[in-house]
Amino acid sequence: MKKLTMAAIVSLGLMTGSALAASAWTGGDDLPTNPLACDGTPSAAAAKPYDGGSPTNPPDRKGKKITVVDVPKLIGIGYFNATSKGIQDAAAELGNVDAKTDGPTKANIDEQITFLDNYITSGVDGILFAANDPVAIAPVLKKALEKGINVVGYDANSIPEARQWFVNQAEFNGIAKALVDSMAAEVGGEGGVAIVTSTFTTPNQARWIAEMAAYAEKCHPKMKWLETVEAQEDNNLSFNQATTLINKYGDDLKGIFGMTSVATPASAEAVTQAGKCGKIAVVGLATPNAMKPYVEKDCVKSVVLWNPVDLGYAAMQVLRAVADGTLQPGATSVKAGKLGDLQVINGSEILLGSPYVFTKENIAGFDF
Amino acid sequence: MTASRLLRHETILGVLTVIALIVLASLSDKFFTAENLLNQGRLMSEVGLVALAMTFVIVTGGIDLSVGSILGLTAILLGVFWKNLGLPLPAAMVLALACGTFAGWVNGLIITRFRVPPLIATLATLALYRGLAEGISEARSVRGYPEWFFFFGQGEVLGVPFQLWVLGLATIVAAVILGLTPFGRATYAIGANETAARFSGIRVDAVKLWIYTGAGFCSALAAVIFVSRVTTTRSDMGTGLELDVITGVVLGGTSIFGGRGTIIGTVLGLILIQALKNGLALSGVKGDGTIVVIGLVLIGAILAGALFDRNRGG
Amino acid sequence: MTALRAHPGRSALHRFIGGYGQEIVVLLSIVALFVVVGIINPRFLSDTNINSIFAGNAYIAIAAIGMSMVIIAGHIDVSVGALIGVIATIAGTLAVNGYPVWVAWVVPILFAMAVNAGVGALVAYTRIPSIVVTLGMLSILKGGLISITAGEWISDLPPEFMIAQMRPFGIPSAVYFMVALTAVAAMFMRYTDFGRSIYAVGGNMEAARAAGINPERTVVGVFILHGLFAGIAGILFATQLQVIQSTVPPNLELTVITASVIGGVSILGGTGTVIGSTLAAILFACIGSALIFLNVSAYWLRAVLGLLILATVLADMARRRRAT
Repeated sequence: MKKLTMAAIVSLGLMTGSALAASAWTGGDDLPTNPLACDGTPSAAAAKPYDGGSPTNPPDRKGKKITVVDVPKLIGIGYFNATSKGIQDAAAELGNVDAKTDGPTKANIDEQITFLDNYITSGVDGILFAANDPVAIAPVLKKALEKGINVVGYDANSIPEARQWFVNQAEFNGIAKALVDSMAAEVGGEGGVAIVTSTFTTPNQARWIAEMAAYAEKCHPKMKWLETVEAQEDNNLSFNQATTLINKYGDDLKGIFGMTSVATPASAEAVTQAGKCGKIAVVGLATPNAMKPYVEKDCVKSVVLWNPVDLGYAAMQVLRAVADGTLQPGATSVKAGKLGDLQVINGSEILLGSPYVFTKENIAGFDF
Repeated sequence: MTASRLLRHETILGVLTVIALIVLASLSDKFFTAENLLNQGRLMSEVGLVALAMTFVIVTGGIDLSVGSILGLTAILLGVFWKNLGLPLPAAMVLALACGTFAGWVNGLIITRFRVPPLIATLATLALYRGLAEGISEARSVRGYPEWFFFFGQGEVLGVPFQLWVLGLATIVAAVILGLTPFGRATYAIGANETAARFSGIRVDAVKLWIYTGAGFCSALAAVIFVSRVTTTRSDMGTGLELDVITGVVLGGTSIFGGRGTIIGTVLGLILIQALKNGLALSGVKGDGTIVVIGLVLIGAILAGALFDRNRGG
Repeated sequence: MTALRAHPGRSALHRFIGGYGQEIVVLLSIVALFVVVGIINPRFLSDTNINSIFAGNAYIAIAAIGMSMVIIAGHIDVSVGALIGVIATIAGTLAVNGYPVWVAWVVPILFAMAVNAGVGALVAYTRIPSIVVTLGMLSILKGGLISITAGEWISDLPPEFMIAQMRPFGIPSAVYFMVALTAVAAMFMRYTDFGRSIYAVGGNMEAARAAGINPERTVVGVFILHGLFAGIAGILFATQLQVIQSTVPPNLELTVITASVIGGVSILGGTGTVIGSTLAAILFACIGSALIFLNVSAYWLRAVLGLLILATVLADMARRRRAT
């Protein structure tokens, strides 16, 4: 048994060693990054041809009542409760849509595929989805397209040919810039920052972290990334992980990035309970309701998000437009009900807008 | 363990399954179509393969909680061997299968050689194998497989999904081994009374080692099929698989104490669960409601089986 | 327990170590861990960090007390994580709806005890294996929780409800609970008739029956006690943060079972102590924090944890073989 203990200690040493070799921010993926200009000049977006998929012989749904299912990454968290509300709002407004939200209780692609498959068999007219994995979800979405079902994604994309359109809340590099700029404003452009994310295999989170690393290197090179920890989508775990980071780095830690709507309030709570409000900045993605107590106490200065209710609303409007045939491949904008005209980017993506920064001044006006 | 005793639970289960199928078919006209049934067969193949092996494991009185992690690890290794190490895909598949089988063998070694109770041993390897999958992959996915690879998970032979043929073949093989060979009889004997089995000359450790290795192999095979079905690899694949498999096996009448259980029971249990998951969804019940129903069915079916047993003085 | 009398020729100290072998190993591991990590990163030993480790994980130790009792009795419960999630939600809902704080604390605990009484009765009187019943119960609780709450966060909890955040004399209340409950449970298991009957039933049910113990009532009683501890754990879990998530905490049942098992409770039933499981839960929490302090690559965290569990288990098996 001594040999085994020795083996365990040696393995531990090896794994520690490999950690020190990593240079990029842990948790980012290795896809190409495209950091924006530091001063906010928008990047020149080249127009791309339409690259989405299309349904095979869809029935004529113009003006008719359609059944739609919304399958988010998982159910039971505030963020997707909000998108679901947006979808329901749009459905009520349109009047000829029957929409329901159903999905796995864990952010797991295996189960999400089964849900989608069942709804395809039950004969829905439209599918809205937020993918747990862009490639793994493709076969089942393509099956839906083959059956003439309209498929529109939101929040988390699939590969383009598996869906018709994707409603993008904000560009990845735009979110990265907003987060990093907010953090830099609070910690003064330098200092140690840590990240609390959901899991390293969540595609959106990985993209954001990769873009954040690229943007920080370009525009705030003195910002020092310390560590990334995983906290699934669990409140208590996020809190414990954030607390461990605070304890580990002591005064070297100047800011924490929260990458999910669960991680950010939990990190703020950790900073509050550790008595470090004002000494450690917390910047992240979160719903305003979850952050109101911390923003009001000046523990958190800015919260970055888009409006998930609007996101769900826009997705539903786009699906209706697609089913009716009013939104065709090659369009440059689409009318999304009360949100007005939304722009088409990247061929088959519809941009909701720029990320929104909630601060003490404006947070009281939102309820989600 | 007479034939009449064996058949009792399986008969109840069979009747229950038929009733469920009839009720579900009446709730939705999309349920009882050839297309849907074949599709469900495709979707349950991964769980089915592992459940066949798990039947052997539970009949010996053991358990294997690490099957989901072995699936995830094999999936990751498949991608790593092919993309990072540059092996030709068939070689990568075989090597990945070998690794998954080896992982099962290690489970067996820990249980037989070091005498660690199976629950604890596989609880530890559940974490270890999943951790290896996460570490080796560093959260990267491998994608871009050639078209022919997708045949295993998405293709059809004579109109029936390929993996369903595999599952059918495996079921026959497993049923023959468990029901008709000395190996199968040894399995039952070990589960009924391990000490007595040892004294009667059965090579208990060898049998167990084979069984856990087999569980590793089935998980690895399920992994290859799953990767082919979803065209990518992720380190979190197979999470929670063990609970689904154990539920199916136990529902099928295999006693968790060992010594009892049949392949046909496991197959019926799996069919019942898959039918419920699919049929309830088609009739409009949402995911959370389905989970509750399955929990109730599990307890109810075992309760019914236990009550019938007692009434016959068993 | 029986090992204490297995070697009559040895000194009392020797017998003590033999009988509490695993517990001592765990305790020494905790000490070794603190020493090693403390040298590498002294902040590990700061009182804020030690406070955080204990306060954040005490509820796991408390849940492990009840789980240990169940395992000693020869059974298992895989639904404890879901139960704690439900407890937290009930407590939070009562608290924000204006019920007195003590109601919000006590009613969910009673609920947990009632649910587990049902589970225990099923297990005891119908002979359905506990893993099956609790597997079913896991599904029912998990599905039911999502159905009823849709995962809505419960916020605006009244401050007097937040028992886990209270700090009498600067020590988190959860720590007091953990120490007190462990001590009480340990004495209960060792010195009361019911406690000893749990060991007897777990060791050999028929022999226990022959000795005049009613195994069925013992099993139901054990599950009710388990519900009590799970309920208290759930209340502490619920009051750690300002919001309650209304979902099932991931992997909680595996962590609790592992803590019991590493702490020396034999899965075969009949041996082990609750002190061991509490120490093991503490060790786990410390390891979790230590791995971050040691800069172990984040991608390899779970692999290292799995390796450590395996090493501990193998070491324990070797120790048992040498002892017998």
